[in-house]
Amino acid sequence: MMSEARRKTSLFLCGCSTHISDTIDLKAVSEWAKKRGDINVIEIHNLLCSPDGKKFFAESLAKNKPDNIIVAACSPKMHEKTFQDIAEEAGINMSHVQMANIREHVSWVTKDKEKAIVKAEALINASLKRVMLAEDLEKHSMEIVSEILIIGGGIAGIEAALTASTAGRKVYIVEKNISLGGTIIQTEEIAPNMECSPCLLAPRLSEVRDDPNITVITNAEVTDVLGFYGNFVAKIRKRARYVDDSCIGCEACFEVCPVTLDSEFHLGLGTRKAIYTLFSGSVPAVAVIDKGNCKHFIDNSCDACVAACPFGSINFDEKDEDIELNVGSILIATGYNNGEVSQFDRLGYGKIENVYTLPEFERIASSNGPSNGEIKLKNDKKPSSVAVVHCAGSLCDEGIPYCSGVCCIGAAKVGELVRKQIPDAKVFNIHNDLVFAGPKENAFFKKQVEEGTQFIKCSDLETIEIRGKDGKILVEGDGFSPIKVDMVVLSTGMTPAPGTVELAEMLNVDLENDGFFKADHELLHATGTSLDGVYIAGCAAGPCNVATSVTRAKSAIGDAISKLVPGREIELEMMTAIIDEEKCGGCKLCITVCPYKAIIYNEKENVSEVTEAICRGCGTCVASCPSGAAKAKHFTDEQIYAEIGGLLYG
Amino acid sequence: MGNYEPKIVAFVCNWCSYAGADKAGMLKLNYSTDVKLIRMMCSGRVDPQFVLDAFRKGADGVMILGCHPGDCHYRSGNLKAMRRFNLLKKMMSQFGIDGRRVKIDWIAAGEAERFQKVANEMAETVENLGQLHLRGYVESEVQ
Repeated sequence: MMSEARRKTSLFLCGCSTHISDTIDLKAVSEWAKKRGDINVIEIHNLLCSPDGKKFFAESLAKNKPDNIIVAACSPKMHEKTFQDIAEEAGINMSHVQMANIREHVSWVTKDKEKAIVKAEALINASLKRVMLAEDLEKHSMEIVSEILIIGGGIAGIEAALTASTAGRKVYIVEKNISLGGTIIQTEEIAPNMECSPCLLAPRLSEVRDDPNITVITNAEVTDVLGFYGNFVAKIRKRARYVDDSCIGCEACFEVCPVTLDSEFHLGLGTRKAIYTLFSGSVPAVAVIDKGNCKHFIDNSCDACVAACPFGSINFDEKDEDIELNVGSILIATGYNNGEVSQFDRLGYGKIENVYTLPEFERIASSNGPSNGEIKLKNDKKPSSVAVVHCAGSLCDEGIPYCSGVCCIGAAKVGELVRKQIPDAKVFNIHNDLVFAGPKENAFFKKQVEEGTQFIKCSDLETIEIRGKDGKILVEGDGFSPIKVDMVVLSTGMTPAPGTVELAEMLNVDLENDGFFKADHELLHATGTSLDGVYIAGCAAGPCNVATSVTRAKSAIGDAISKLVPGREIELEMMTAIIDEEKCGGCKLCITVCPYKAIIYNEKENVSEVTEAICRGCGTCVASCPSGAAKAKHFTDEQIYAEIGGLLYG
Repeated sequence: MGNYEPKIVAFVCNWCSYAGADKAGMLKLNYSTDVKLIRMMCSGRVDPQFVLDAFRKGADGVMILGCHPGDCHYRSGNLKAMRRFNLLKKMMSQFGIDGRRVKIDWIAAGEAERFQKVANEMAETVENLGQLHLRGYVESEVQ
């Protein structure tokens, strides 16, 4: 049924410089349209998207002032916006421009010219019925919040924060651990250039500490995130340290603390006290009391640290703190976890002495490690031979099914580190595949071969058996002769950081099948996620080396700050869903199907409400609403029913 | 009946299947003109009523085409569509409509050949089934 107010319709038939007109006789279509009597203006142009065509289109609109515009031409994905923009300039709301796709869906796929005409007419008829019911689409915008939240204070988070700060943006780093640095600080040297990792990090840490644009919140976790791109509210729980900011990390309390515990920083290979920092020179320098293990908290039997502290920094009364941050974007830089190998009995990990994972070996070889960098066995002797097993726990169903791509170079580095301290030591790298992508990596590999590491090919790494024998370790497997060594290093891969699933749920972003955060687009938006304004960097986006980690961080933060310009407004989706509160029965079905948490329940009014700024306009709620209260703008039920009818009675 | 040309309506999502159909066009992959498309933003927008409405208005077959599971532009709209579809399909026989006249399938933006195949197969199926005569169908009620 035609609305009285929306009578005037213009139909534009585009020949697409013969792409359409060779197959579809546009004159015949024009005659058909004329005969209908409900199309006021019929225009034919040879190429409507050309400069001449656009001028022709604009002039026709200006002259005829149509209510409804049908452009029978190519796919709306090609030029809908082109013609909508011209219509907007002519004062006609974009919603009143409807494309009929007679090129991709007719002329290019239909040989029979008679049938092509009939199909084209059906599509035009459907477009006409639909466009007559179109309602104006309103542009909405809102001012963005330019602050950025970075979750994770490893190298990716740090570099992202410094980059944002350089642009004058305010950022918050929320770090789960008690100080910044992430996993890079647990390694001494980074292959292939053997750059000193603590030396690399230390100046960056001080820069972050002294930067007025960067607020660091450590020993803290994000507990909830509400809102949407340009205006998120993140709730943070900051755990009490029981040591106040006057602490300079002098470590006087460490000596007097009577409780000795395994150190997480040393991956259980060294110890720490119940009051501790991760490493000297950490940022913040402030120590933390491990409440669960501190004698003061357990039975009030000790306050040795209070007496030892020259600054009076100990504060047993400190409380956990809840913080709310208003930010425009969120960068996830939560890093990775070391792959597990304890489930593989045959690898002997955890059962045979001197069998370590690669990250553990890194700790042993680090000057800030449990043995101050001295590579030695449990009995304090230097190993005379070391076997490195590549892909330990990787590329198999019980472990990590994928290749992390960066462990090979770490595994090859073991020989370099061992020979530096024990020049005659024999090093065997047992591998199946070797991944040394890039010229520098490959040169590093060759150097290791030249300097004495023996790369031994195992035909099936799943056959590797590691056993203790005569005070040594025997490594056996298919395709090579058994090797007896003093120490074994299992080169483990990378898995998603702990808490990744929970964080993804909280932020409402997707994960890959491998468990890492899923990129919005693998090629064009690899550091974006499925949710606008939420970014990924470092290993949160998948296993990578330090260089890629930092590159991802800068890419992500660059994208974020280029969009979050202070004072700028962001345009919101126009084709959102809305819920008619008169019709809504409050069944909440729409809330359960909405993929974006865009619908909230108004307890007071007993109705569901769409937060239009979050809604992306998929229309799933509309299809599921049992009372017809939900409506998809520009894809209303009425429009679709009209289009169905138009298509079938064309 | 002799000159029967089936009418098939395909509800296609904007991001995958509509783009797949566009690509079929770019590659000049001919397919039956019986298949005509209605663009939705997401297959999750397809209300089962649309399918019934299409049959009521004379369609002989209806397809819902969306993104492959896991690839939905809106995360999971296609899965919602699938769940609704399964229920709908069960009910079709109660309306006197052969279940083969409705179909849900997934076509990615790059799957032009697949689009062509799915469209032609549906056209053939529906052609073999013959024209749909709905009991109690009153043409005058349909505009």
